[in-house]
Amino acid sequence: MSIEVLLDRRQQAVRRRGRLRRHNALVGWSFILPNFVGFAILTLLPVLALFFLAFTGWNAFGNAPWVGSDNFTRMISDRLFHEALYNTVYYTAFHIPLTFAASLGLALLLNRKLRGVAFFRTAAFFPYITSIVAIAVVWNMLFSPEFGPINQFLQALGVSDPPGWTSSTDWSMPAVIIVATWREMGYYMLLFLAGLQTIPADLYEAARVDGAGAWQRFWNVTLPGLRPTTFFVTVMLMIGSFKIFDLILVMTNGGPGTSTVVLSQFIYRKAFVENQFGYASAASIVLFLICITVTVVQFLVNKRREA
Amino acid sequence: MATTLVPSASAGLVQAPVLRRPPRRRVGTVGRILGYAAMIVAAAAVLLPFYWMVISSLKTNNTVFTAPIQWVPEVFQWHNYVDIFTRAEMTTWLKNTLLLSVVVTFLQVLTGSFAAYGFSKVHFRGRDALFLVYVGTIAVPWQAYMIPQFILFSKLHLSNTLWAIIALQAFGAFGVFLMRQFYETVPEELSEAARLDGLSEYGIWRRIMLPLSVPALASLALLTFVNTWNDYLGPLLYLRDRDLWTIQLGLRTFVTQYNTEFALIMTGSVLSVLPVAIIFMLGQRYFVQGIATTGIKG
Amino acid sequence: MKRSTLTAIGIAAAASLALAGCGGDSPPAEPDEPDTTMEAPEPVTLTMSGWSLNVTPEFRALADGFHAENPDVTVEIVQYADGNDYDTQIIPDLAAGTAPDILVLKSLNKLWTFQSGGQLLDVSDVAAELSDDVSGVDRYEIDGVTWAIPYRQDSWVLYYNKDLFDAAGVDYPDGTWTWDEYAAAAEVLTAGVSAQGAKGTYQHSWQSIVQGPALAQTPGADLLSGDYGYLKPYYERALAMQNAGAQETYGTVTTSSLTYAAQFGTQKTAMLPMGSWYIATILQQQASGEADDFEWGIAPIPQFDDSTTGSDNVPVTWGDPTGAGINPAIDEAKLDAAKRFLAWLAGEGGATVLAGLGVTPALSNDVVTDTFFALAGLPTDELSKWAFTTHDTRPENPVSAETATVQGILNDAHSAIMSGSVAVDDAIAEAETRVASEAGIG
Repeated sequence: MSIEVLLDRRQQAVRRRGRLRRHNALVGWSFILPNFVGFAILTLLPVLALFFLAFTGWNAFGNAPWVGSDNFTRMISDRLFHEALYNTVYYTAFHIPLTFAASLGLALLLNRKLRGVAFFRTAAFFPYITSIVAIAVVWNMLFSPEFGPINQFLQALGVSDPPGWTSSTDWSMPAVIIVATWREMGYYMLLFLAGLQTIPADLYEAARVDGAGAWQRFWNVTLPGLRPTTFFVTVMLMIGSFKIFDLILVMTNGGPGTSTVVLSQFIYRKAFVENQFGYASAASIVLFLICITVTVVQFLVNKRREA
Repeated sequence: MATTLVPSASAGLVQAPVLRRPPRRRVGTVGRILGYAAMIVAAAAVLLPFYWMVISSLKTNNTVFTAPIQWVPEVFQWHNYVDIFTRAEMTTWLKNTLLLSVVVTFLQVLTGSFAAYGFSKVHFRGRDALFLVYVGTIAVPWQAYMIPQFILFSKLHLSNTLWAIIALQAFGAFGVFLMRQFYETVPEELSEAARLDGLSEYGIWRRIMLPLSVPALASLALLTFVNTWNDYLGPLLYLRDRDLWTIQLGLRTFVTQYNTEFALIMTGSVLSVLPVAIIFMLGQRYFVQGIATTGIKG
Repeated sequence: MKRSTLTAIGIAAAASLALAGCGGDSPPAEPDEPDTTMEAPEPVTLTMSGWSLNVTPEFRALADGFHAENPDVTVEIVQYADGNDYDTQIIPDLAAGTAPDILVLKSLNKLWTFQSGGQLLDVSDVAAELSDDVSGVDRYEIDGVTWAIPYRQDSWVLYYNKDLFDAAGVDYPDGTWTWDEYAAAAEVLTAGVSAQGAKGTYQHSWQSIVQGPALAQTPGADLLSGDYGYLKPYYERALAMQNAGAQETYGTVTTSSLTYAAQFGTQKTAMLPMGSWYIATILQQQASGEADDFEWGIAPIPQFDDSTTGSDNVPVTWGDPTGAGINPAIDEAKLDAAKRFLAWLAGEGGATVLAGLGVTPALSNDVVTDTFFALAGLPTDELSKWAFTTHDTRPENPVSAETATVQGILNDAHSAIMSGSVAVDDAIAEAETRVASEAGIG
């Protein structure tokens, strides 16, 4: 074959690839556009404004005077911010594995055709749909150091000095973690249930025929099959844990002392109570950066595993 | 990519004339009963706050919170369930909440699954970076940007209309993220085969992706519905007129700094939970739906 | 999208939003003279922010009352949420320029925020015309200019259950109590009423109950000084009462979500230090049967020492006024009506409407007191009347940029101390350190 023909063929291939790429881009964008237009205008724009406001001293009304990185340097020496960051990491470190294990366990348990399984699944989901005020109130009562059933139960077991739970600075965060796990396990159970449906039943059959026990089936069939769901759950769990706000607000309001002040609450306090929106925006950026870093890492790990 | 190649063992199964049943574990009746008992106790523990809500809704305001707690009301105040409709505009609130939840759910599921297909099955430059931007916005706490967003919505004249809530929730990143993950579990071979058959990408989405992802769609629908139903801060900011209020907003009118009508609030909360619980219970078969083997044989 | 494009869009968006929020930056120029050549005033509608309208009747009552005397002006109440949600709603409204004409300042804390953000008009002219009997006008003054007018002034008093006192055989408070005498009485009362499942007194979970009197009554105490040693004796006393069982523990109050209205109303406590806003609530609850039918009275709040006790002296108590200001975005034509409304609110017109509802107005004179005590269900003894009318109400929240931050830090200290997690000295030291670093004081 002559050089010209080869070159010509090459050019045609390149053009075809270019056309294919453009075609793909067009098709891809056509799918994304309906959601993206709404998202970009209504959510992305304010979020970008937030990035700008973090470098100002905005107080919600007047001008946004530029202060550069003052907000960030202030955060470095702000004890409450350190406390909030520490509490948030403490919460996240325990909440994520507990909730993950509980929800996955529930999903596996309730994925069968037991009698009344619909009722049990609904029961597991109930904490998520119940009013958060009711949850906070009831759990506070259960945790009541003097009158609460939990401490009475512990005392019956022989524990002489039961924890003060939500009225003690040491035990308030564990109490919150327990309640949050209880509340969210139904939510993630639902997602895992949906994910379990995507694993073809004949894979289990084949594994069973090959002599795999229950644990091996779980490890070699279920877990790999759940990988996209697991990715979703861990990312949402992580972001959700870092952003935890409602439950703590109604249950302990950051107290006693500052033992349950978390980042979202710090942001809310600085913004709406002390009217320092610029500073609050800066703190939000830090929260965002932490989340996005971990998400990207998870994303890359997930991609590598998939390949 | 999830593996979908059918292992050769099944071919062996088909060929052998005698079907071997996998050995069944012997679970005695006692074990079964104990298992059920354990589950019922666990369910009871999980439902305790809801039980408290119900009994509180049947008390007077001043007996809701006592130390120690009264687990059975002395006098059942059944009239609370009538009062909530006569003293407050519970029907309006129900109507608004229902309307918003249904519309937002429909839009989120539709645009979310549509966009998720683009993020999952179509390859183009910048796709993953854009997807990370989506996920990134989930990471920003809403309190942080709610005022700039409010100003924007006011300029768009969305404020104080139901459209504000719809606009706020219907185009979220959550739905896109969830559906994309589920689309990842659908093997590429299916789409390839469909493309060879001449289906457009849109056709693939409609005829193949959607039916296959019913549990995911159902989960997304339920979660969006619940989130919109229980949303408080969004309506607090954007639904000011009384006739626009949702249930959560309406119930808070019983709260004042000096005196709170807890019993009525709990009545409203109980009524608010029931529709969602019923939908979930009745819709079970959509969440847990066995997917037939995907027919890749041959 | 390219990064530079994204940045450009972001900056443009943020800039346009910031500029848009610039609306109320500087107040418009005041009209020189009210137009006195007008013959018949044009009908004007003012909007005013109010909250929980179905359970807080004062707003509608005030609107109707003013309209009756000034038929040309209609006041429309815009419904807002109560509690912290009020601020959560009104701040975005102000930022977006959709707030009502008359802004009610629910908590004095926000005065500084609104004023420095240019969200209030100068109303010094209205303030100058007010009667001297209106208390709290100076609280709304910043740099010599008055920015809002108080219409309601709550202060803290001591409620007591006469029936339970009789059962325990303890003499009623007589206006001579100091805090130590109050604590002693609480312990004696507890022994006497515990058979009925009640306690001597009830301390709600708020920081106000301990920190309010400490700040108001301790000579030389200053919230913004960075020195909080004045809190120590008050906290030690509160903890002692809690440990002696004379009041429910802080832990029980918070975990059981107890409410002061329920505790006093169902006779679970013989005494209750609380703000004067509770009067309207207990009247309504006794009328509806939600609260028990028992004899109760009001006494002055216990004092720091004998120098301010007794009927020859004026008891020192604390509280903040509730006031209303004018939105600078108001229509020029409505300004005169708005100012007339504010003057009426703080004057006898508004005060009598409020008193008739059991709300303590800022204006305190005989007409108001008589209207107030004409309400059915109120105690009619001399001490109650005296406690209601005679008090030196000191500020709970001084107006400054750092108050909100300091109060937040002190609230954290409060929960740490009362829950028994941190010793009083340590908590106060921690608070002082935090105030120095976070608020830049001391």
